[in-house]
Amino acid sequence: MTMMTGKEYIESLRALNPEIYFFGQKIKSIVDEPMFHPHIHAAAITYELAHDPEYAEIMTATSHLTGEKINRFTHVHQNIDDLVKKVRMMRLLGKKTGTCFQRCVGLDGLNAIYVTTYDIDQKYGTSYHERFKKYLLEVQENDWMPSGAMTDARGDRSLRPSKQKHPDTYLHIKERLGDGIIVSGIKAHITGAINSHKILTMPTRTMGEEDKDYALSFAIPADTKGVTYVFSRQTNDTRRLDGVLDAGNPKYGIVGGEALIIFKDVFVPWERVFMAGEYDFTNKLVETFAGYHRSNYGGCKVGLADVVIGGSNWIAEAHGIANASHIIDKLTEMIAMAETCWSCTLACSYEGYRTPSGAYHINPLLANVTKLNITRMVYEWMRVAQDIAGGKIITLPSEKDLDNPESGKIIEECFSGKEGFPPLDIIKMLRLIENMSVGAGLPEAMHGAGSPAAQKIMIARRSGIDIKMDLAKTVAGINKDKYFESIIGKDENTHWDEMKKKIKEKMVQIY
Amino acid sequence: MPSIGIRYCGGCNPQIDRSKVLRNLKELLKKKDLQVDFITDKERSVDIVFLINGCMHACLEEEFLRSGHNPQHISVKGEMVDDQYIKEESIPDFLIKKIIDLFNSLHNVISF
Repeated sequence: MTMMTGKEYIESLRALNPEIYFFGQKIKSIVDEPMFHPHIHAAAITYELAHDPEYAEIMTATSHLTGEKINRFTHVHQNIDDLVKKVRMMRLLGKKTGTCFQRCVGLDGLNAIYVTTYDIDQKYGTSYHERFKKYLLEVQENDWMPSGAMTDARGDRSLRPSKQKHPDTYLHIKERLGDGIIVSGIKAHITGAINSHKILTMPTRTMGEEDKDYALSFAIPADTKGVTYVFSRQTNDTRRLDGVLDAGNPKYGIVGGEALIIFKDVFVPWERVFMAGEYDFTNKLVETFAGYHRSNYGGCKVGLADVVIGGSNWIAEAHGIANASHIIDKLTEMIAMAETCWSCTLACSYEGYRTPSGAYHINPLLANVTKLNITRMVYEWMRVAQDIAGGKIITLPSEKDLDNPESGKIIEECFSGKEGFPPLDIIKMLRLIENMSVGAGLPEAMHGAGSPAAQKIMIARRSGIDIKMDLAKTVAGINKDKYFESIIGKDENTHWDEMKKKIKEKMVQIY
Repeated sequence: MPSIGIRYCGGCNPQIDRSKVLRNLKELLKKKDLQVDFITDKERSVDIVFLINGCMHACLEEEFLRSGHNPQHISVKGEMVDDQYIKEESIPDFLIKKIIDLFNSLHNVISF
């Protein structure tokens, strides 16, 4: 089994020749494009840490297909421990990068398709699962990074996919051939798309019978003929071209490096098709993927919180206010929020279960609660980070002004802090906090893995509200309470009649 | 008479009414004129064990399998029985079929 290092991963991208556009230009080489460097580095960390004995316990797993050691990002979870280690890996990588490392989408896609193809085959006698296992084996053997391509462009959301004005608004089957299918359509804001080896598609929503050509899942190489990428803009993205300092996190960037993927008459051989028309399993695939992916956010975003909490404390020290009670209180709030989210993701992993396929899935209710908390708490801890850092995070002069001998010296003098904190370091840290708390990372925490409304739908569906009503009715005395009756040794009604009588007698004595 | 050992999970946050599942199963067995001895005493030997977990996490299954002595068993885990998703209202019907199959495999006859 190959387990690539970070450097080997980057070199492996050179073998690909995808058609990518950014700023209206066709990109000649992914690896040599400075705008892409931070995203590539962030993904490379997922490879690099697997080779460090200090992290290998989390970063690697044992393949259930071969028994060999593999990068955990290619693993299908075989027990509760795998689910727990997966979220531990997310937190670890969030800490190391301070941003999105992209590879979890493909991991969750692999697991969700593994689980769902088994169920499809049970119902229809198809052979998707065996087909998928062969693909998974190749992913593991080559340590590929597949991008998980789920969300479609979606157009008018009041209309079903098959009723859209433009048929390519959703990815769909155009033609079924003897040896494969022809597909067209657009997948939107796909994380890590331009620096992945493969594309792994899934439907974006529940499909009805009229949308069966949209009930589609397949895998293809990233540079397949007919596939075009348009790399998305991000907050302050061109600062990467201005120097080193202003970008805030020049090594690993900001969010995941999302892209549009346009499929135009793309041929997919049958051996790489994992769903083709089984619309009654789209909900299952979407919910399974969403469950896995939403659980991750209590790991990765908490890793980011670790970085921003550390940065906030460091800035408070540099500014000489670290011992102020309001700063300690604010930092404590940030920590408590982050650990709350961490508790959620650990809980949804520990409460996971074995699916009929043998793979393990997280507790979906708790995973959705995890993500819903993230949609709120990331904003809150980043707001506190801004509060502690002060107004400088949005008014700092540029790196070019620091380099300018006319202005640089006075800026450095004015930005010096407490003894032992060099002004340039203070500026670096403020830029990092700006990058993490002001930019695209916030709406990414809101909408990545689905918007809050999607989480609430799944929470409501799985809340067991009828059971809760019964509990309330029992405690309120509407339903029979057999344990209470056992404690008091009689029927509840008789008990209360006797009680009322006793109270009445007592009142007569008092008044 | 064939015997089934009954084991309940702790019931912290069940997705199904565990005692109702058993109650309905007993009623259904009675309707079909099938006699089974349900035993809750863990010490007594039984033909098969019936694990009733309130949710898919199935704490009881984990504990049962870990214990090392694994007689034939059927595991209800929320809206799942063994490796199949089953709606709560259909669980008793499904269990009857499973029980008959299991007894057949054990005794090679329907021993009811």
